[in-house]
Amino acid sequence: MNPVINVQDVTFTYPNEEEPILRNMNVSVNKGEFLAVIGGNGSGKSTLCKLMNGLIPHYYTGDFDGTASVNGLDVATSSVAELSGHIGYVYQDFENQLVQARVLEDAAFAPLHFGLADYMERAREALQLVGLDNYEEEFVWQLSGGQKHLLALAGCLALNPDIIILDEPIAQLDPYHARKMYDVLKKLHEHYHKTIIVIEHHTEFIADYCSTVLLLDKGQAVWKRPVKEALTAIDELTKCNIYPPQVTQAAYELGGRTSLPITLKEADDYFTERIRHKEPQSGQPDFSKKEPAASFQDVTFSYKTVDRSYNHILEDINVTFYKGEKVALVGNNGAGKSTLMRLLTGFRKPASGTVDVMGRSTSKLSPEQLADCVTYIYQNPEQMFIEDSVRKDVEFFLKARKRDGYEKKVDQILELFNLTDLQHKDSRLMSGGQQRRASLAIGAAMDPSIILLDEPTANLDIGTRKQLTKFIDQLENHTELVMIATHDMQLVSEWSTRVVVMNQGEIIYDGDKEGLFSNMFLMRKAGIVPPQIVELSHRLDFSRAAYSIESFVELYQEEEVAWIT
Amino acid sequence: MDYVKSMIDKLNVEQIKIELMNTAYANDNTYIARIDPRILFIWYGFFGVVPWFIHNEVILFGMLAATIVTTIMTKVSKLILFILILGLLGQGGYLLIASLFFGGDIAVLQPLLMLTVKLAVISLASITVFSSMGPEKLSIGLLSVGIPGQVSFSISYGYRMLPLLLEEYNHVFMSYRLRGRAPDKKGFLYWRYAAYFIKLAVLSFYPLLLSTAKRARTTIEALETKGSKNAFKNPIVKKLKLSTLSINWNDYLFLTVSGLYVIALFVTNNYLTKEFF
Repeated sequence: MNPVINVQDVTFTYPNEEEPILRNMNVSVNKGEFLAVIGGNGSGKSTLCKLMNGLIPHYYTGDFDGTASVNGLDVATSSVAELSGHIGYVYQDFENQLVQARVLEDAAFAPLHFGLADYMERAREALQLVGLDNYEEEFVWQLSGGQKHLLALAGCLALNPDIIILDEPIAQLDPYHARKMYDVLKKLHEHYHKTIIVIEHHTEFIADYCSTVLLLDKGQAVWKRPVKEALTAIDELTKCNIYPPQVTQAAYELGGRTSLPITLKEADDYFTERIRHKEPQSGQPDFSKKEPAASFQDVTFSYKTVDRSYNHILEDINVTFYKGEKVALVGNNGAGKSTLMRLLTGFRKPASGTVDVMGRSTSKLSPEQLADCVTYIYQNPEQMFIEDSVRKDVEFFLKARKRDGYEKKVDQILELFNLTDLQHKDSRLMSGGQQRRASLAIGAAMDPSIILLDEPTANLDIGTRKQLTKFIDQLENHTELVMIATHDMQLVSEWSTRVVVMNQGEIIYDGDKEGLFSNMFLMRKAGIVPPQIVELSHRLDFSRAAYSIESFVELYQEEEVAWIT
Repeated sequence: MDYVKSMIDKLNVEQIKIELMNTAYANDNTYIARIDPRILFIWYGFFGVVPWFIHNEVILFGMLAATIVTTIMTKVSKLILFILILGLLGQGGYLLIASLFFGGDIAVLQPLLMLTVKLAVISLASITVFSSMGPEKLSIGLLSVGIPGQVSFSISYGYRMLPLLLEEYNHVFMSYRLRGRAPDKKGFLYWRYAAYFIKLAVLSFYPLLLSTAKRARTTIEALETKGSKNAFKNPIVKKLKLSTLSINWNDYLFLTVSGLYVIALFVTNNYLTKEFF
């Protein structure tokens, strides 16, 4: 084995910080590895990767100790540009990595600026590798999130580096596109012999694609192990706020301690032996006796593109949401989920048809008037921050309405979201998890009848995710309608009472989650991959599907009993 | 009342964003857009500068006619034209009123009209040239006439940031509206509403600056890894970029037709002056 990356005894402290973010870090990566780097928020994952491509110590001038080398080049004495011929880096905020207006221009940018005469061929080849060869002349900002991510990757590939690092490559993708992304990486790994390093929260993907796993905690490497060994170390993982794959958790809950399964296929074999089959059942929810909270009648919506043609986002939407429902809105990127929600806020008006909220048509109401009963929580929390401190942002709504005694209410909410200590900090400078909490606190202060959450669980670690679900549960007490647009099928399966599936601007399914998760055709069309635990219970032909690990354990024990008696 | 409301609905941030981006990027399918940037610079050097030194009505109106034709050929956004016309009329109107107020008479109309025509020719020529060149073309064009790489890159990068900034601005503006409170009373001629929106439009710039500063950090790092800093010193990069430019018969045709038209204008003018005097 020859190591292509060698990090020895590196300690690094960011400027203006007291505590080092990396402490005596020791890591080596071999040629041809597909390595997953895992660890809780703030464990030093991104910092380690920035060290590998030389941004540290060249761009972040903190306290740096130790040595690091890439392909034999010393990171401290080689320039960032020199290193980028060996190592490509795809950022978590990859959108800001795209520097040109059109796809081909952007992919060609790096080879052109390194003075390589065949820059066009390199760019075309890279685009073909990631499957963007049909989009050469497209404008960068008209690509979907997944395509932008692939383009950022192509921009690195054009220099043909041996090593590629990706910081959370699928955080904002629907399960279908996430798989596509990983299939591209797999191809690069297997056919082009690239060494690939990903920072990843989704252990299901790690199990399916990666060969080794590096666990970081508090700036140190805890261990580096082969994937199977790593993902079955359940206690160590949960201590660092990481979820092992659902099937592994389920096997562990059921008392398994050795040779736990990590992929669906393994789980299938692992559980199959002891199960007997019953007929599956499913039911439809009853909408008849409920009071409507919001409704869409014959709604269409389109927007103008840069070349002035119209892009139809929603077509012929007819749907009514009732009080007391917990609605999950699912579908691939660009299916129209966010647009549907924004129509409820009144910031966008339908091109035709009517949208009613709490019995009043939105066409006659301004967003400010609707804000009294509807709250929309952005996918990207940063876009909600309009003041320079958390506290000011939370009280903005109440202050604008001159509510009596709002200070006390704000204090309570800050306490509830664990933000009291951070209340005078600028929200933009906080970590991802803290920002999410702040955005939820802003929503909670508005005390709405209808709350709309856009992708609330993207990029969250275990701790923050639990807080989020706690918040959503509390909402149910005084909120009439909760609607969540999400790719997170675990959230859908554990929480929702009604699922609306969108595809290319139309509603293609409206019903309960049982109906959705038992319909393979529908799921494929909408780019949905059911949570492992649901799929496993289908594969095992359980009488009904399990939607959480607890219910799986329960069902499994029932089935087991049934078999024994 | 409903009319004002529908105007506000139409003239939202989204719409303005699309018009601006269309002007900046999407005009590259017109005849003029296919012309080599160096030729366009020469053309602009005449139509954008010479009007200042000409005081002859016939020639100026002739040039105005030419730039109107080229502007139509570029299919530029109506919003941009609207703003231009508003600006020209506003400027002329204000000067007229000022001169009448301070004792001038209707005779000032003639010189004012000349000034307005000059400004119009220059503005339309600028629109023709700059809306036809996409950011990349403009930056390579500038490079070809000896402008340093840093400057031409900044321009092309500025264009790249434009949609991001507009998008971000749109979000911030939306955040203000989704949590704020509009005035209860509309006021005479909607002045309370107008004041509220103007206040929001200004306030939205502060969060915009803060969040953009953070984004720019990634971009600067990415540019470094993409070798842009080294490229300014590397003559091969410049050569590669310039090799994408080529002048063909179409370019000469454009220049020749423009040249012939200008000569024709001067000849006609001479002829007309002889006839009358």
